[in-house]
Amino acid sequence: MRLELRGITKRFGSFTANDRIDLTVEPGQIHSLLGENGAGKTTLMNVLFGLLHPDEGEILIDGEPVRFANSGDAVRRGIGMVHQHFMLVPVFSVTENVVLGFEPTKSLNRVDYKRATEDIVRLSAQFNLQVDPDATVENLPVGLQQRVEILKALSRDAELLILDEPTAVLTPQETDALMAIMRSLAEAGKSILFITHKLKEVRAVADVITVIRNGRVVGSAEPTATEGELASLMVGRDVELTVEKSAFSPGENVFEIRDLVVRDDRGLVKVNGVSLDVRAGEIMALAGVQGNGQTELVEAIAGMRHVESGTILLNGRDVTNKTPREVLDAGLGHIPEDRQRDGLVLSMSVADNLVLNTPRRAPFARRGTRNLAAVHDNAQKQVRDFDIRTTSVDEPVASLSGGNQQKVIVARELSRPLAFLMASQPTRGLDVGSIEYVHRQMVNHRNQGNAALIVSSELDEVLALGDRIAVMFDGRISGIVDPTTSREAIGLLMAGTAGATDE
Amino acid sequence: MSVIESTAAVVSNRRVRVIAVMMGVLGVFSLIVFAVGSPSVAHSSFLFNPVNLSESAPWHVGTLTLNSRLADLVLALIMIGLAVETYVRRPARGVMVRFGGVAVLFLLTLLIWAARTPGPSPVSFVNLTALLIGSSEVTMVLVFGSLSGVMCERSGVVNIAIEGQFIGGAFVGSMLASTTHNFFYAAIGGALIGGAIGWILAFFALRYLSDQIIVGVVLVTMLGSLSSYLNLQVFTPFPQYNTGNLAPNLAIPLLSKIPVLGPVLFNQSGFFYLMLVLIGVISFALFKTRYGLHVRAVGEHPRAAATVGIDVVRVRYINVILGGAIAGIGGVAFMASQGQFQPNYTSGLGYIALAAMIFGRWRPSGAVVASVIFGLSVYLSYTLTSYQVPVSLYILQMFPYLITIAVVAGLIGRVRAPAADGVAYQHD
Ligand SMILES: Nc1ncnc2c1ncn2[C@@H]1O[C@H](COP(=O)(O)OP(=O)(O)OP(=O)(O)O)[C@@H](O)[C@H]1O
Ligand SMILES: [Mg+2]
Repeated sequence: MRLELRGITKRFGSFTANDRIDLTVEPGQIHSLLGENGAGKTTLMNVLFGLLHPDEGEILIDGEPVRFANSGDAVRRGIGMVHQHFMLVPVFSVTENVVLGFEPTKSLNRVDYKRATEDIVRLSAQFNLQVDPDATVENLPVGLQQRVEILKALSRDAELLILDEPTAVLTPQETDALMAIMRSLAEAGKSILFITHKLKEVRAVADVITVIRNGRVVGSAEPTATEGELASLMVGRDVELTVEKSAFSPGENVFEIRDLVVRDDRGLVKVNGVSLDVRAGEIMALAGVQGNGQTELVEAIAGMRHVESGTILLNGRDVTNKTPREVLDAGLGHIPEDRQRDGLVLSMSVADNLVLNTPRRAPFARRGTRNLAAVHDNAQKQVRDFDIRTTSVDEPVASLSGGNQQKVIVARELSRPLAFLMASQPTRGLDVGSIEYVHRQMVNHRNQGNAALIVSSELDEVLALGDRIAVMFDGRISGIVDPTTSREAIGLLMAGTAGATDE
Repeated sequence: MSVIESTAAVVSNRRVRVIAVMMGVLGVFSLIVFAVGSPSVAHSSFLFNPVNLSESAPWHVGTLTLNSRLADLVLALIMIGLAVETYVRRPARGVMVRFGGVAVLFLLTLLIWAARTPGPSPVSFVNLTALLIGSSEVTMVLVFGSLSGVMCERSGVVNIAIEGQFIGGAFVGSMLASTTHNFFYAAIGGALIGGAIGWILAFFALRYLSDQIIVGVVLVTMLGSLSSYLNLQVFTPFPQYNTGNLAPNLAIPLLSKIPVLGPVLFNQSGFFYLMLVLIGVISFALFKTRYGLHVRAVGEHPRAAATVGIDVVRVRYINVILGGAIAGIGGVAFMASQGQFQPNYTSGLGYIALAAMIFGRWRPSGAVVASVIFGLSVYLSYTLTSYQVPVSLYILQMFPYLITIAVVAGLIGRVRAPAADGVAYQHD
């Protein structure tokens, strides 16, 4: 399919998210879209997928102008989309999610689940996307949910596949697998529109690169361009890809866990006797392939999951099985893994989300009444400092782009006095410029003598930030190493092979 | 995996304990008040024959005479046992079933106690079959109401207006039944008025994104007053429009002769059979058909449904209107079981129906089971005074509402409502 976008303009009120965008995708081409957080990439894709209606401009498929009333129309014209924020029904099975909207039926309008399941099994074998068709989606790790999304798009014979930051939540192995799939789809003549903030991936897989800034196409690049060139084209200035850290001089233990055991929702032991300590002025990076217990560990520390045994000490206080409020009061700052579910109240304004865990404290409240002026001023300051792209601080946070939503959380947590910062995948979905900024903030926090635990599945991030690196595998710490350790050695710990001698 | 769910998991563990404690309180109450409260020689006797079939019935189930104290003691101990088991084991599934079982046992111990005769020989009887037949009228209304609730809430709209749809259906139904002498037309009329009320709710909730609960409550209040006014203006001066509307029973050959339950289930009005059919149809539609899958998707994650081309607003309109129609028919059915319309006759049954839907975990089958339990307790609260219960009628009438509050408070955090239930949906 040959897709052409001509002069697409999309406004939200007085704000122009897409400004006369032209874009052509040839059959069999992998076309990569690069751009800062809030540049308008997702908006453009939503227009193309029929979820938003353009104010101006037209969409042409194989030279013929088309209009989509809704995304059902887009799917019927052969467009498939994997959304930045998954569009899966959590309580449905994989099969139900994949067929939703396009169900094979038997008599009496019944859904033919047998046929649907067979189709999925065949498709997942064909594209090497293994997933249990009967599993309930909410019980699947994010990587598998991502697979379900891709299967859903492929099952409808998409000729053009839109992938909006599909790799943000994938492990490196899963990312490699996805890129292999993309290549094979392109060879089969399908077109792909691929959005990512990871410049490595762009260089590895793209045929054509288009860069968008502030809603406009600002240029294109060859896949042979260096990461530095791509970064400065995107952000419009040079980006430091590494952070300066002051000399490492750790102090007292601020945070300590002993023999922690935590179960997941299905009652399986996910954290199996973990002990860890973090000192003042130190960043402890927790590396590991997703699904090895990091999520449960973080939830238990934050007071959001029951601790079966073991203790958590924060600032000398025992916070084991305390409520999130008590843990926060003890000095924890928390950047959660799933921003939309656990970090934000999407329907509330940017300003309110920026004081979400301190609304009752001075200066944001006095004698039980909110001080809205202070809330507003704080919001203005954070929006400026963290470069949060929003039309106004009174906008609901839901209308921000994915990366800017993440920045709201980071700004909120880093702008209040903390004894201990715990951040889970803190730069997921951020553009290179923002990553640079957030990393610098976290290092500042450490340089001022504070402690931090940073959970990340990005090896680059772990190596850039960590003063020590703990690797988690299968519910245990398989090793604690310093950042000069080779990637290979850390990789082995992540795969559990080096730690196996412990047992 | 996510924090919300894991918080829910922690909370739900606590909820299980709360429910277990509630079960235990019921058990201990039965033990102390009903078992110990019966003299050791007292007996309770039960009959199983419907009054109108007792002579002609080809079968005869003998009376059952129990030692009141002993029987209540055994049942109370079972209740306490279930409570302890739930508290200690905190089972992942079947908590509601256990709670329902304890509720039924509680009603049984209450009955045995109420039917006690002080001496060793039985003098008075409780006719269990007649009791079930009596309560089936209330149960039927609750089933219509909770099915209506299931239809609406599965698509993500809270229908608090069920009570109002009952009232509207009952009023229109009475008028149509007395003028046309045909209950079919009455049912159609009830469905139309119920559907129209549903449409109003949907219009404000979906078009203007108004708060669904507020719109619902306003509708109920309005219809309550409107029907009282019309009752004064129409039915009082022209009583011929509101009389003789008792729906006849249609006994199903053979089936109605099954001992004990036959007369309860198979010697009923057409409305009752319609209800049985609806239970099956809605279960099937919701869980087997393509449309049902769309409805559930819309109720859980409307944006996801929209991205696959499902028209969220349309699905919600359809379900709220259909749900309204079902509640409207429920109103006609209730009127037809009483023989006439009376203002305020439904006295909050619409809300109890919603509680039954929650208890039934938004499933038609569960809602039916819950409706049976609620129906029994409502009916008992009206009839117990005829037995030797030394409690004021007004206190007794609080009983079903107390159970409702206990159920809703205890279960609402445990059972999971459709995720987008009551949440306005707006596309960009
Ligand atoms: N429904 C909406 N109402 C108002 N503004 C919106 C809405 N949707 C998006 N925007 C604004 O449009 C701009 C572009 O958002 P978009 O989601 O397209 O960015 P993006 O390029 O995908 O960024 P990211 O990389 O962070 O995902 C943002 O500034 C956002 O605030
Ligand atoms: Mg985006």
